[in-house]
Amino acid sequence: MKLSIQNISKRFNKEKYGLKDYSLTIENGILGLLGPNGAGKSTLMKIIATISRPTTGSVELDGHNILQDPDYIRKMLGYLPQDFGVYANLNAYEFLEYIAAMKGVGGPNLRKRVEALLEGVNLIESAKSPIGTYSGGMKQRIGIAQALLNDPKVLIFDEPTVGLDPEERMRFRNLISDLAQNSIIILSSHIVSDIETIADEVAIMQGGMLITKGTQAEVIKQVDGRVFESVLESTALPDFKTKHLVVNTSRQKDKVLVRYISIEPVNGSVPAPASLEDAYLFLTHKSN
Amino acid sequence: MGTFYTIIISDYKQRTRSYAFLVTLAISLYFAHSFVPAADAKYTTVRIGNYIGVQNAAWIGYVTAMMTSVFLSMTGFYLTNSGIKKDVDTGVGEIVATTPISNLNYLLAKAWSNFLVLLSITACVFVMGIALFFIRSGGYPFEVVQFILPYLVITVPTIFFIAALAVTGEVFLYRYAILMNIGYFFFFCAMGTLDAGGAGVLDLFGNTPVATAMQETVLHHYHDANTALSMGFNFGGKKAIHSFIFEGVHWTAASVLSRALWIGLGLLLIFISSKFFHRFNIRQKIKAKKKSKFPKIIPQAVILKDIKLSELPPVTSAYGIFPFIKTELLMLFRKGPRWLWLINLGGMIALAFAPLTVAHQIILPILWFLQVGRWSDLATKEKTNRIHYFTYASYRPLTRLLPAQIMAGIILSLVLASPLLVRYLVAMQFLPLVSIVMGGGFIVLFAVALGILSGGKKLFEILFFMFTYANVELVPFTDYFGGINHNVNYLVLIAGLIAFLAFVSFMLRRLEISRV
Repeated sequence: MKLSIQNISKRFNKEKYGLKDYSLTIENGILGLLGPNGAGKSTLMKIIATISRPTTGSVELDGHNILQDPDYIRKMLGYLPQDFGVYANLNAYEFLEYIAAMKGVGGPNLRKRVEALLEGVNLIESAKSPIGTYSGGMKQRIGIAQALLNDPKVLIFDEPTVGLDPEERMRFRNLISDLAQNSIIILSSHIVSDIETIADEVAIMQGGMLITKGTQAEVIKQVDGRVFESVLESTALPDFKTKHLVVNTSRQKDKVLVRYISIEPVNGSVPAPASLEDAYLFLTHKSN
Repeated sequence: MGTFYTIIISDYKQRTRSYAFLVTLAISLYFAHSFVPAADAKYTTVRIGNYIGVQNAAWIGYVTAMMTSVFLSMTGFYLTNSGIKKDVDTGVGEIVATTPISNLNYLLAKAWSNFLVLLSITACVFVMGIALFFIRSGGYPFEVVQFILPYLVITVPTIFFIAALAVTGEVFLYRYAILMNIGYFFFFCAMGTLDAGGAGVLDLFGNTPVATAMQETVLHHYHDANTALSMGFNFGGKKAIHSFIFEGVHWTAASVLSRALWIGLGLLLIFISSKFFHRFNIRQKIKAKKKSKFPKIIPQAVILKDIKLSELPPVTSAYGIFPFIKTELLMLFRKGPRWLWLINLGGMIALAFAPLTVAHQIILPILWFLQVGRWSDLATKEKTNRIHYFTYASYRPLTRLLPAQIMAGIILSLVLASPLLVRYLVAMQFLPLVSIVMGGGFIVLFAVALGILSGGKKLFEILFFMFTYANVELVPFTDYFGGINHNVNYLVLIAGLIAFLAFVSFMLRRLEISRV
């Protein structure tokens, strides 16, 4: 499958753009979207999910223009919005069957699939309770289950791990990695480690534009050899921050261990292996 | 004091910066325009026996103030009775609960904010009243005091009390919004009856002193024994109407004090409410079938079973709308307290055994009005529950989900009306039978169209309330279910309205889907 986004812009008003001349091609596998708040990640996902229309540009799935024929992608779409709600007095079975009806999914196997998904997201024990009694994490998991109801070929997860505990996050990663062979999976997260452990490719966005896209190795390479660590006096830190891009600090008694990105390291610094987080911070900072 | 003022103004701003408020304001102004009928209009609003006043400043000022008092009593409660709920829904309430603001001050701020919302509408009607005076231009002198005084003494105390009552209703009935809405309907009817009977101090609308002054004027000039006050939109009998010159009311200290008492009563209600206010220490009440089976906090399962999505049973396509209708009916059924179904059942029994005319004209509209909470968010609940991202990204949302919602609503209306339908069927009276079926379709589509148009349920609640009140008062042009009108032309008119509402609903929803 191939999802092709060509020169899309989303203009909210005269001065404000959600996306600006954005192009991206996505094939089977998991694409992680990274970017600060307001970068346009959710806007992009809503456009792909056919909820929002771009002001200009085109979106095609295997050559079909989904802006003209949104139902083409809707049949094979699984979408988890960032901010979604539930009908509080339906239970998990009823809610998922309702969403299944929306997706045009039915048949004798639906109940089995619903049960399997509820097991997969660890909600089977409480599946007959009204969803209004669920915790935030449980609601998030019901959201994940609904996205997987229709055997989707295009999966869009906007901040899927919000509210999940570390174990549930791991289960989520396992759950969707199984689908990556035959589907396009796009997920956004503020937690770089979530993207780092699961995504085949990473796209970094800022200000409605694509800064870079590539495999993790390709993205990390852009900051390779520029990451250093140094121990400083605590009082020197504010001044140091004005001169270098500090990506992390950790206190050590009256000193502080600083991880920073620079072309010219300060004396006493030691090179450190670059991570996706370093690359993300460097690229978004540079873009600013 | 500055902080308190800021809270009121901020609350007022967030409530008036909504599309629903603007739509309500526009409708209010439309009604306000009709408060003083033109000379050639076929209806009257305020009438003393067979007399109406010439359109001088006193008549226009007092009539618009009286009508606004009644109109905003009717609609204002529904417009303002969700200020605290909004704080609950948005989570702002929990932040408020952690601040030093006292219950009394918080509730007072809400009441003042409600009051300002209603006062804004009143101010617009006031300006329209003055404009009407100049447009009608009867050659009478402009006396601004004849406009200001009635609004101050009649309308303002009424809307203040309504604003406070809306807060009290939210405090005591926060879990039973349906009960609150229905309860207010009967309260308003009771107040209307008291007003018509010259209630004195108990006159919430403040019309008694004005009616007395008008009656005395008529009696003094014409010595006519028939000086009964008639208020509302009265059609017919206008040919026999004579005019008189009304010069306003001489307000005594006692009558002004009796109006001020309503403000005091409003403040007292707020004070009492503050003693019982939940201060957002509430848990959303969810109706579980077997409550004891479900602990409030559900423990996590210990044994985790991994699944492989690629090995799940395959699903087949099913693009029908029956599963939607089933779920929509389920949600309609579960909405509101269970005991309300006992009242519904009682209403259905009454439909089966009451005299046919009473059942059709009175019981049916009231029974349908009891469903106001179920129908009012029929097509807006996706947005209020933030399900719309799923809905709008689903397969053919316009032609599958919306028809299912409409059909579920209509099924509910017909199930409730079924005893009456059976009676008409047995009696082989097909015209009223079809009228009821079309009435069910009309009211559901009315709810859907207004819901999508205003983005909320308030507008429908207010108009449905007004319709029902007018239905019970046997006002012909609000008879959407054939209680009074029994002819084919009327059915064609309702069918046209249904088609129009359906068209509007689908167009608006299509626009909504494209503009998320």
